[in-house]
Amino acid sequence: MQFDLLHFHEGIKKDRIMFCYSGPISQSTIEGIGKTLRMNMEIEEAGFNVSQAVFSIFVEQMQNVLNYSAENLNWNKELDKELRAGILVISQEEENFAVYCGNLIYNSDVQQLEEKIEAIRALNKEELKQLYKKKRKEASEIESKGAGLGLIEMARKAGTPIEYKFTLVNDNYTFFSIKVTVRRKKDG
Amino acid sequence: MIIILSSALKLQLGGKKMDKLLIEKTESSPYVCFDAGKNFLIIQGESFPENAAKFYTPVLDWLHAYLQTIKQEEVVVEFEIIYFNSSTSKIFMNFFQMLDEAVATGKNITLNWRCNEENETAIECGEEFKEDIEYLPFNIVLFKGV
Repeated sequence: MQFDLLHFHEGIKKDRIMFCYSGPISQSTIEGIGKTLRMNMEIEEAGFNVSQAVFSIFVEQMQNVLNYSAENLNWNKELDKELRAGILVISQEEENFAVYCGNLIYNSDVQQLEEKIEAIRALNKEELKQLYKKKRKEASEIESKGAGLGLIEMARKAGTPIEYKFTLVNDNYTFFSIKVTVRRKKDG
Repeated sequence: MIIILSSALKLQLGGKKMDKLLIEKTESSPYVCFDAGKNFLIIQGESFPENAAKFYTPVLDWLHAYLQTIKQEEVVVEFEIIYFNSSTSKIFMNFFQMLDEAVATGKNITLNWRCNEENETAIECGEEFKEDIEYLPFNIVLFKGV
């Protein structure tokens, strides 16, 4: 056996990773993992509202993969059932829960996404709320399956600003990773 | 033949009869029951479908048609949502704006945003919707337990 599963398992434990998933993501993956995540948060005694915040960030991140990952595995466009690749890690860091998510994006989309995240990172809680409400009332972008609100939603639920990283993979793709942290004890 | 009969029946009722809209809940989409006969509309459960715009198209279409049929009768709309994602949030705003406009033109509609008293997120979300509407009576109703 070439792949050392025990070593992998121990590494995950050591890093206090509660969840990791890598591979094809569909809506049913989100529903299934989401259900388990909620149960697990209960075991962790995270409290209903912290648990809701982690769940919400998880859903927004996974649905971003589902809508935007450049690694599209769906061969049948007629089905309207997306299947796209991404990676998700939920860990405990000190007194926080951290939700990490990564996927490939097209190099041509990097700049726009970076500007979007930077703009959000610059805002305080009240400004985020106002931006969220403003965007919510605007008409949707054509061809957009989401509402373009996901990043703002995550930033509002997070205890610290969104962290992110772009790593150039090749001429076409960049790996995009995002980390959103939720405080175990909710502050006002 | 059946189709002809049912449309004839609708004509007899002055074209005002609307079918009930019933959608069963799934892991990621809510139970929807819009009963034009009782003037009672309810959406209940979770909402993070794969494509929120697509899921809610028949819901918004039904509402749009229904608002044309009502006059002064009392209409109660209930939302009891545990969790909804950001794309659903946009649809709900759109839904409330439609109700708001109807109330502005004299319709008698009340919205009850029902949530568990422990679900702070749902309560806050209700308050934020309430801030963004003008005419629609928007009640945040708290309940205990499930």
